[in-house]
Amino acid sequence: MGDAAKLGRFERTVLAHLDAAYNLARWLTRDDAGAEDAVQEACLRAFRFFEGQQGSSPKAWFMAVVRNACLDWIREHRRRAVEEEYDDALHGAGTGDPPDASAIRASDARWLHECMATLPQEYREVLVLRELEELSYKEISAIVDVPLGTVMSRLARGRDLLQQRLLRSLKRVNS
Amino acid sequence: MNCARLRQVLDAHLDGELDHATGEEIERHAGSCAACAAFRAERNALRERVRAQAPYYRAPAALKRSVGQSLAAASEPAAVKPRPTWLQAALLAAVAALISATAGYWIGRPLPDGSLSEQVVASHVASLAGAGRLTEVGSTDRHAVKPWFQGKVDFTPVVRDLSGEGYILLGARLDHVADRQATAVVYRVRNHIINLFAWRAVQPGDEPTALARARGFNIAAWSEGGLRFAAVSDVDAPDLARFAELVRQSP
Repeated sequence: MGDAAKLGRFERTVLAHLDAAYNLARWLTRDDAGAEDAVQEACLRAFRFFEGQQGSSPKAWFMAVVRNACLDWIREHRRRAVEEEYDDALHGAGTGDPPDASAIRASDARWLHECMATLPQEYREVLVLRELEELSYKEISAIVDVPLGTVMSRLARGRDLLQQRLLRSLKRVNS
Repeated sequence: MNCARLRQVLDAHLDGELDHATGEEIERHAGSCAACAAFRAERNALRERVRAQAPYYRAPAALKRSVGQSLAAASEPAAVKPRPTWLQAALLAAVAALISATAGYWIGRPLPDGSLSEQVVASHVASLAGAGRLTEVGSTDRHAVKPWFQGKVDFTPVVRDLSGEGYILLGARLDHVADRQATAVVYRVRNHIINLFAWRAVQPGDEPTALARARGFNIAAWSEGGLRFAAVSDVDAPDLARFAELVRQSP
């Protein structure tokens, strides 16, 4: 395949999903510049390994590349972020409130965002892929590289956690 | 189907991932169990709320451009040349601006001070080049940001709380516009970053706000109280004009 033809096909089948890629990267890295770096890197990697590599769903294949670039970025830049994710006990103990919890509560949407953004990564990513990208369990299982049953249990557990956080914070603000 | 089993599989059912027979079992159980019916209603509400309220981050225009550029470079037959970094891009822009200024020729000459728009765009782009470059002091509190400049520059830049208008203060840093020392106060509107640069004006006297565009970025520039100001962002021109108007209003 010629270079121009390859680029054209890449743009149609892969770059068409740049918004989805950035959305996943932004939720994973929780950082504007980090998401841009990761997506930029993912596009170059995907282009390099483009020929004959996408399988049945080019979008799922590209999103898997994006996710890996994000995990690399997080490892490099944000060790702290990984530690925070395992800090659920802290949140549960009621000392992990963001400093301006009441201000955030002023807006329902911002509070939901806060609760979702602080979910552990394994639940956050499946929720974003399911609710915002509306991908099937099969595609999510290919992206996250876990069995279908694990996607199912992570989605159920992730929604449990999100529900609990939304309610718990509501109670805390009211009391 | 019992309550424990329903809680395990309800999400997959609502996501349309289960076979018809299991779906019917779930519906039958929920029809006769108030607790499970309530659980299902709760889950439906949560799903709707997430879809309606969770932000969807779209790829910024600048990212689309830079991806296009690096892929074009990567697909060239003799792809030996390294892709330009943001810093190199900014330097190139600065050189281009210098050449244009020397030649006395600048298409459109959008602002009174000639190559100013290219220079502030170069500083803006450089500030977005990597994590941690945007702000040296990160705070949404203007009473924390303003004192940070004390002893660092010989003027007092304007720092406003415009969060009520949707412009969120992110922090500030010291920067340069061309060869002049400048302060940069950083705001965010939706997913767009605004850099508000300020430096000592060369020409005395106030200047009204002028809007310009360079390399896909919008610029609003004005002079006030002996300082020259330039706001740069990839946000829409009307939103940037509104921002300039808000900054210029007395606190």
